[in-house]
Amino acid sequence: MKGTYLGEFEELVLLTVGILFDDAYGLAIVDELEKKTGRNIMMSSVHKALLRLEDKGYLKSRMGGATAVRGGRDKRLYILTEAGKKVLSESREMRNEMWKEIPKIVWEVTQA
Amino acid sequence: MTHKPHQQNPPTWAIRFFQWFCNDHLADAALGDMLELYDRRRARLGKRKADLLFICNVLFFLQPFAIRRRSESTSHHTLAMYKNYFKITWRTMSRQKMYTGITVGGLALGLATCMIIFLYVRNELSYDKRYADGNHIYRFYNDYRGAQAERWTSTSPVVAQIFKTDYPEVEKVGRLVPQKWHQAGSNLFRREDRVENTYEEGFAYADNELLSILEIPFVEGNINALAKPNSIVISKRIAEKYFPNEEAMGKTVILNDDNARPYTIGGVMEDFAAHTHLHYDFFITLTNAEFWPGEQTSWCCFNYDTYVKLRPDADPAALTLKLQSLRDDHLLPYLQNNGDQSAADIKKNHFFGLQPVRDIYINTAGVSDELHHGDIRYVWLFSGIAVFILLLACINFVNLSTAKSANRAKEVGLRKVVGSVRGYLVRQFLTESVVYSLVSFALGVGMVTLALPFFNALAGKQLALPWTTLWFLPMLLMAALVVGIIAGLYPAFYLSGFKPVDVLKGSLSKGSRSSSLRGALVVFQFTTSIVLIVGTFVINKQMQFILNSKIGFDKEQVVIVQGTNTLGEQRETFKSEVLQLADVEHVTISSYLPVSGTNRGQTAFWKEGRSKEDVAVYAQEWSVDEDYIKTLGMNITMGRDFDTRASDATAIIINQAMAKDLGLPQPIGHRITKGQVYEVIGVVEDFNFESMKGQIRSLCFVLERGGAFASVKVKSSAMASVIPALNKVWQRFMPHQPFRYAFMDERYARMYADVDRTGKIFTCFAALAIVVACLGLFALSAFMVEQRGKEISIRLVMGASMKNIFRLLTQNVVGLVLISFVIAAPLSWFMAQQWLKDYTYKTPLSWDVFAIAGVLSVLIAMSTVSYHAIRAAMTNPANRLRSE
Repeated sequence: MKGTYLGEFEELVLLTVGILFDDAYGLAIVDELEKKTGRNIMMSSVHKALLRLEDKGYLKSRMGGATAVRGGRDKRLYILTEAGKKVLSESREMRNEMWKEIPKIVWEVTQA
Repeated sequence: MTHKPHQQNPPTWAIRFFQWFCNDHLADAALGDMLELYDRRRARLGKRKADLLFICNVLFFLQPFAIRRRSESTSHHTLAMYKNYFKITWRTMSRQKMYTGITVGGLALGLATCMIIFLYVRNELSYDKRYADGNHIYRFYNDYRGAQAERWTSTSPVVAQIFKTDYPEVEKVGRLVPQKWHQAGSNLFRREDRVENTYEEGFAYADNELLSILEIPFVEGNINALAKPNSIVISKRIAEKYFPNEEAMGKTVILNDDNARPYTIGGVMEDFAAHTHLHYDFFITLTNAEFWPGEQTSWCCFNYDTYVKLRPDADPAALTLKLQSLRDDHLLPYLQNNGDQSAADIKKNHFFGLQPVRDIYINTAGVSDELHHGDIRYVWLFSGIAVFILLLACINFVNLSTAKSANRAKEVGLRKVVGSVRGYLVRQFLTESVVYSLVSFALGVGMVTLALPFFNALAGKQLALPWTTLWFLPMLLMAALVVGIIAGLYPAFYLSGFKPVDVLKGSLSKGSRSSSLRGALVVFQFTTSIVLIVGTFVINKQMQFILNSKIGFDKEQVVIVQGTNTLGEQRETFKSEVLQLADVEHVTISSYLPVSGTNRGQTAFWKEGRSKEDVAVYAQEWSVDEDYIKTLGMNITMGRDFDTRASDATAIIINQAMAKDLGLPQPIGHRITKGQVYEVIGVVEDFNFESMKGQIRSLCFVLERGGAFASVKVKSSAMASVIPALNKVWQRFMPHQPFRYAFMDERYARMYADVDRTGKIFTCFAALAIVVACLGLFALSAFMVEQRGKEISIRLVMGASMKNIFRLLTQNVVGLVLISFVIAAPLSWFMAQQWLKDYTYKTPLSWDVFAIAGVLSVLIAMSTVSYHAIRAAMTNPANRLRSE
């Protein structure tokens, strides 16, 4: 099922697009991700993930919001599609399920 | 899409590059993002850092997802264009068969030569690379830096022992006796349980540890095969010959019919690979060996080569410095005890060194030994020739394609008119030249396959195209591409630069624009050819000189019967029976002959009573009988030959060099000593007994009967009948031994086989280079004639004679060749000087070599051109003029 698999980085990007809602474009996503994760994020990898997510149908994009500082170039603005929202919530549910199945004792043992 | 002028921008080339490779979907948005980031960074980090980071950003986008996919229609379009290029290439090729043939044939010939040279060089450089610990294996050598400086490998047997005790850096030490000495060299060989002896070559003495130093692989037994006294190791080849289908290890063999000293086979080793510096079939152990009382502990005689394997952490340079203590602590005390006067000189000038095993074959660095060597200078020389031949072939291609440009000009013009840009045309012509190159490579590989057996025979090698190696085919293709592009570069840019208007209006003078360049290229080709011709002459002249002058003895009409040492007491009877044969003039028996593969022995001599005062004269001491000088036709310049009087047992005959070294201009009657005292009764004219590279050295004869070779001087023209007669006599004396014979002149020539071989290889390459150059000139002259066809026809009509036309067409070429000669003469003179420097006896470098080379090159050029010139002059002018 190559088409629907969601990688960790892709999931983060998808989430960030959700957070930024109306202003989700390349650089803003990089900034937000760096803020949230504390990692150094490469612009090219973000664009790559965006492109792939769009291919998978989780995102759609439009052009707009050019500013002088961008040399007059449009941004490509992304928003979540229905499929995107669904895959995010599915991923979250799956995690919750799995969380629940971890026996309490595990936490106690690690603390001890 | 322009930015505001006050803004500082990242390097434009990076932006352009990004826009060029990035696909449209991403380009604008991603670039915008990057510019925004750049702006932010510039404020924070400064322009330089921001620029750098921007470039990094751009480069990180170089991934498949971002790269522009050339749209379906463009790729289809490109494919169609390439199809067209190939079609046009095919048409041009088949339309002008002669030019195509010459271009492709010349290039193929050049490439084939290059490939062969490449294989040869690769083989020469591949020697002794197989050792796992090759970096730690060294061979010991002496480095004498006094007058007549010399480096050589053989040393005292003691050295190996000292290595073990005095130098902890040394892990293993092994000795080898590589030269003909006692049983080393050649022997009669048989199994203990057989009677029949067979003559075998390739014996050497070796220490057990040498086997592990040289990492010799074993078929039977192991690396300790020589540990026991009287053990012998044989090669797989020999084992299969004498012990087919049975185990050879543990069996007993007999050398020279000497039943008293049997040898036990300690192991069977793999045959030596072709590319190692040593090639032996038998190793006789040195364990417990002692050739005369005290031999193993004395510095008297240098007969052993010493190999060492250093510990991995040892520093060979530091060890070499420490090695000099060998001289001060061991060699000098020995000399001083003996009162040897050379001690002071040895202390000052005798040094020791270590030579890496990988350098032994090819990088001799002047170290002389008994082995067969390559020569790094020839590797360079031949590589140089390969490059030049390839250049010549490429030049043909350039010359012909620019010359034929007129024919393509219209095509170029038309293509431009219908919308082709220069880039497309360059691509087209490069495609064309790559196709030429590919075809030539295929043809070249075919030629190599055909020519390799002949070359192998000539060079004494076993070269083969390495089809099975992984890199060969890809490398061949790469080379074809590179050659194609290099050769096609100039024509491509030249041809694609035509202006369509000029071309289509017909105002472009046909191919004349680059005629000066073509001239220069022809000069280059002929300069190379003339240098090679001179080189060939000089090498062959030197070869003839060595073989035929300054020999000092008569090598013609002498048969050498080998193995006479096994005759024992019957020796004299054998000699007299041979002498009774018809056509035999003289017979002599001795182990020492002035050809390679016979015994040598160096001894120190002094004038009588001066051994404590004078420096010794080292001379070859050869044991001969009283017929020796007669048989070999040597000249006595003073005194007399040996005869049968009893006093001659202590008589000695010296050569002129020795008389000089002893400082005795009138040596007859003087007494000299080597411990035993001799009276000088004669002086023999210097004769050559080593390679002619060096000076003829001191040598003397003493009377002592016996030896391994009977040399038989035969009256002229009776050679054929003498051999069977000799065989008959031999079989009568020695029924169980093979009759082996050789001719002295052949053996002598074998000493110079290397020079001979090099000369022949060089001649071949030179001839090929000339052929390639001539092919080019041939095609060029054809083109010239074609172009000036109308002019020639008109001249003919106006009454020009054939001679006029011929001169008209050839004078240009002759001029070019003369220019080449002026350039080539000093160049080749210098190179020949360099080459001859190595020889003590060298042929004079006279002007006639250059004159002949010059005349020859003019003749070659003339005859190449004249075919077309004469044809042009003979055609009926009406035919050509009528068609207008």
